[in-house]
Amino acid sequence: MGIVIAVISGKGGVGKTTATANLGLGIAMNGKKCVVVDFDIGQRNLDMILGLENRVVYDLVQVMDGEASVKQALIKSKVDDNLNFLAASQSKDKSVLNSKKVQKLVKELKESFDYVILDSPAGIESGFEHTIEFADAAIIVVNPEVSSIRDADRAIGILDSKSQKVKDGAEVAKYLIINRIAADMVQSGEMLRSEDILDILNIKLVGKIPEDKGVIDASNQGKPIILDKKSIAGQAYRRIAGRLCGKKIDMKDVEISDSGLFKKIAGIFK
Amino acid sequence: MKNKQYSVKVFETTVDNEEKFISFFNTNYTLFKDHLILLQGEVSDKITSFLDQKSLSYLINTKLPIGRSRKALEEEFNVMSVENSVNQQIAEAEIVKLSNRLANNLTVLDEMVRSGRELNIEGDLLLLNRVNSGATIHTTGNLIITQVVEGAIRCDGHFMMIAASPKANIIFHGVEVDNSLLEDKLNRIELKNNEILITPVIKKEINWAS
Repeated sequence: MGIVIAVISGKGGVGKTTATANLGLGIAMNGKKCVVVDFDIGQRNLDMILGLENRVVYDLVQVMDGEASVKQALIKSKVDDNLNFLAASQSKDKSVLNSKKVQKLVKELKESFDYVILDSPAGIESGFEHTIEFADAAIIVVNPEVSSIRDADRAIGILDSKSQKVKDGAEVAKYLIINRIAADMVQSGEMLRSEDILDILNIKLVGKIPEDKGVIDASNQGKPIILDKKSIAGQAYRRIAGRLCGKKIDMKDVEISDSGLFKKIAGIFK
Repeated sequence: MKNKQYSVKVFETTVDNEEKFISFFNTNYTLFKDHLILLQGEVSDKITSFLDQKSLSYLINTKLPIGRSRKALEEEFNVMSVENSVNQQIAEAEIVKLSNRLANNLTVLDEMVRSGRELNIEGDLLLLNRVNSGATIHTTGNLIITQVVEGAIRCDGHFMMIAASPKANIIFHGVEVDNSLLEDKLNRIELKNNEILITPVIKKEINWAS
């Protein structure tokens, strides 16, 4: 029996889908059977980031409607055999989802995978609610800025009131990822500090990801940044994926600027 | 304790003329020897020694209870018992009211009030956690929040206790409270003579050795 993790953010554009793709691949690289499901019905893009754009035959809605089996719809990643992908529908919209269908699908996936990662749509509407409804845990992705924090706070509030686990009297585990941290801006006080974010959201931190220009190119090429061993964001995703697989990995402080004095001096001697 | 209850006949009189008084008692001695003599007004030693010598019981300037009929007594007793039960009922009602106010009108919460949440509380609220930006709280009674407030709070009670919260929107009885007046620890905000009074509860003071 696997664990279901919903990746949520509230605000759009903070890197939910990128995080889902990278963590899915990272978990698979740790030897666990993993499936990533795009729940952003009508606006699918996880397939592009994973580089599986042209291989989608059946989508999530068709599986839920019984037009195709889960087995038929699952797409195996080219990079890692342990990673599977279930695409969102591009033509339908999120109104086609309903609790029963989602529960059935989630249950089925849970039986054959160690990790089921659901990429939630932005916002807090029905699509979001269906994503969190049957999740055992949630990863909340935020950027260090006030609008993202407030939206995430709202999303956590809904998670704490609408999830099935909470209704059953249990608690949904919540993990925070702070994405796109610009070390120099934190140092100069322009960007919110991680401590302040944790104070406001009051959930466990699972990792910090530094701003990395390589992420955009990696997404465009369909090769998640985690495959790039030199990338600082890729390394951060590796650490988080390891932590999600139960490894003890120390927190690395990505807020200390690399573009400091020593790097500049090193640059002179290049 | 040994008790006895009995009625005695009382002869109440004043001493206007001592000679007359003595001769009166001498002649009517047999009539009054079982009476209690009650003397009002000034009484000289001559009279008291006369009464002692005759071994008559007497009291001087004392108010004795006046006898009443059984019916009058019962009526008075009835009135008293009705009054008592009414008083008791009033007291009981007061206690119920008070305990209701204490039990039902104080809400104690120890949870984060996250963005988008709206709390409308009838009565008092004691909140032991923070109020995030985008959340709103309204209480008809007093409001105590022990952590930082970043949302909007509205209180119509007698007082508020709020920590320094530079990002909060605080409205007390329809008037916006200036955040910059709130100091580090808890602040007491109350209405006095139609003015809003803000006092820091624990003011940090340096005690210099002298």
